[in-house]
Amino acid sequence: MRRRVDSPEPQTPSGGWSLLPLTFHRLSSGSVAVSNAAGELVVLSQPEFEALMSCEIHDQALLRTLKAKHLVRDPDDDLPIELLAMKVRTRYAALAELTKLHIFVVTLRCEHSCQYCQVSRRSSNRAGYDMSVETADAALAVAFASPSRSIKLEFQGGEPFLNFGLIRHLVEQAESLAEATDRDVSFVVTSNLALLDDDIIDFCRDHSVFVSTSLDGPIGIHNANRPRPGGDSWQRTMSGIRRLQDEIGPDSVSALMTTSEASLGRASEIVDTYVEAGLLDIFLRPISPYGLALRTGSHSSYDVTRWLKFYREGLERILAHNRAGIPVVERYAAIILRKLLTNEDSGYVDLRSPSGIGIGALIYNYDGDVYASDEGRMLAEMKDHTFRLGNLHADSYEDFVLSEQLLVPLDESFALSAPMCSTCAFERCCGADPVFHHATAQDFLGRKPTSAFCQRNMGVFELILDLYHSDDFARITFQRWSMS
Amino acid sequence: MVFERKDVTRSEIVRFDVEAYSFDAIQRAAYRFCDRISVEVTRDDASWLCAVFPAAATDFSDEDVAAFRIECLDQTLRERIRIETEAVRNLILAHAFAGLVEQPPS
Repeated sequence: MRRRVDSPEPQTPSGGWSLLPLTFHRLSSGSVAVSNAAGELVVLSQPEFEALMSCEIHDQALLRTLKAKHLVRDPDDDLPIELLAMKVRTRYAALAELTKLHIFVVTLRCEHSCQYCQVSRRSSNRAGYDMSVETADAALAVAFASPSRSIKLEFQGGEPFLNFGLIRHLVEQAESLAEATDRDVSFVVTSNLALLDDDIIDFCRDHSVFVSTSLDGPIGIHNANRPRPGGDSWQRTMSGIRRLQDEIGPDSVSALMTTSEASLGRASEIVDTYVEAGLLDIFLRPISPYGLALRTGSHSSYDVTRWLKFYREGLERILAHNRAGIPVVERYAAIILRKLLTNEDSGYVDLRSPSGIGIGALIYNYDGDVYASDEGRMLAEMKDHTFRLGNLHADSYEDFVLSEQLLVPLDESFALSAPMCSTCAFERCCGADPVFHHATAQDFLGRKPTSAFCQRNMGVFELILDLYHSDDFARITFQRWSMS
Repeated sequence: MVFERKDVTRSEIVRFDVEAYSFDAIQRAAYRFCDRISVEVTRDDASWLCAVFPAAATDFSDEDVAAFRIECLDQTLRERIRIETEAVRNLILAHAFAGLVEQPPS
């Protein structure tokens, strides 16, 4: 008869327990983060960790924790094995859905000149950089060839509202296809909001098109990062946010910030700007090494240590707002906490293994070329076509996801096969980023001891765990974020 | 064995008993520290001989060497866990993905 884990155990003073597969990481606090085969984490003190390693567990409360976390088992008990198998299977189940996110670069034209732009935009009056209707229809057909039951179409640019007519066409066509194929479809436009008008707002309302914009912080930071004719990017962005919130709803618009040299040391001001604008979801992002950012050198202008200091300040400011009753969420922490505290995954494309390139998202460029990721498209602007999967007018969805250009980086960057990653206690929280490592180290896997991706994420994991275990309010707030 | 690196300002030999440490554990530790030190590994009858050199233009510190030693211990522990739990880990993965295996037509 199978023994249930929670049935009374004989109170043996020592031994008799078998280790289950686990990995561990020594935190800077002196505690040890221990992860089971499904990636579930527990933080132990050094004495508790030694007890686990020796299987000499006299503390009954510790024993209950270790058994509940499937780190030890009675050698005759198979239930922990079955539970772990179920959790591992659940973790990878979403892979069968394949590509959910489909990004349409409807134009390369833009009237901004953002210093960190990863798009290498063309000026707004240059013809020949808009996606055609034929290309758009081909892209839509590929998107709906994905087996995913739920599809998200994201319209990017340049400034996508410079090709608003095409967005309107795509949304209407997608709605028809979704109804015909019994799928869920949702829409996002990433826009600087400078061109927002009544027509656009009415359309977004009528078709539940969500708007994502960029807001780098207070006016000085934002306008310095994002010059445009008139020098009024911040004013237009804030005005656009208010209009969308007032005319469609408070949840109709969100914003993303990009950290630049000007941002460092001013995390609290940036967070406060978001809160004043009614934006209660903040994603404290680092700068990426693509596009104009690479050419202008702005990606190398600060190191990971400085960014982590910035992130910590921002996270603590957000927690302070929560203490004051304002339910602000830091999105990157929320993504990680969902993985840490639940058996679920938000599916964030940039933090998963196998990598989300191609199998999580596909990018359809204005000229019909298809890329494995947005960053891969940006590398193409720098004449690096490593992540170009093909062209809409020659290839099918199957061609794209089964191409060598996709399968090789997916395979080579898979974390469970990677040095350090394969034995890292944070492997489940983390991900593979072959595009980043190709751009910075000319290798899909990279070398993790020198990888900014690894250093950055490890720093965030340690910070989150430190706050979770040292601050009761932070723990309760993080638990709420894990379900947001 | 004589290590001759005249192009750096500091090098150090760290020894590990071959009975207590595997090459795999030392190699993994050396990889983990490759942002701070570079390590050349050879052995004699009783010991692994790790010649430690700087990984970059600046010299490594005593703390780096101490941390490398501790990491070798941790990698040995990880190795023990891996060996001890290999069978049950394979069982977990087999259970997890058994449903994906297509059955041959009867």
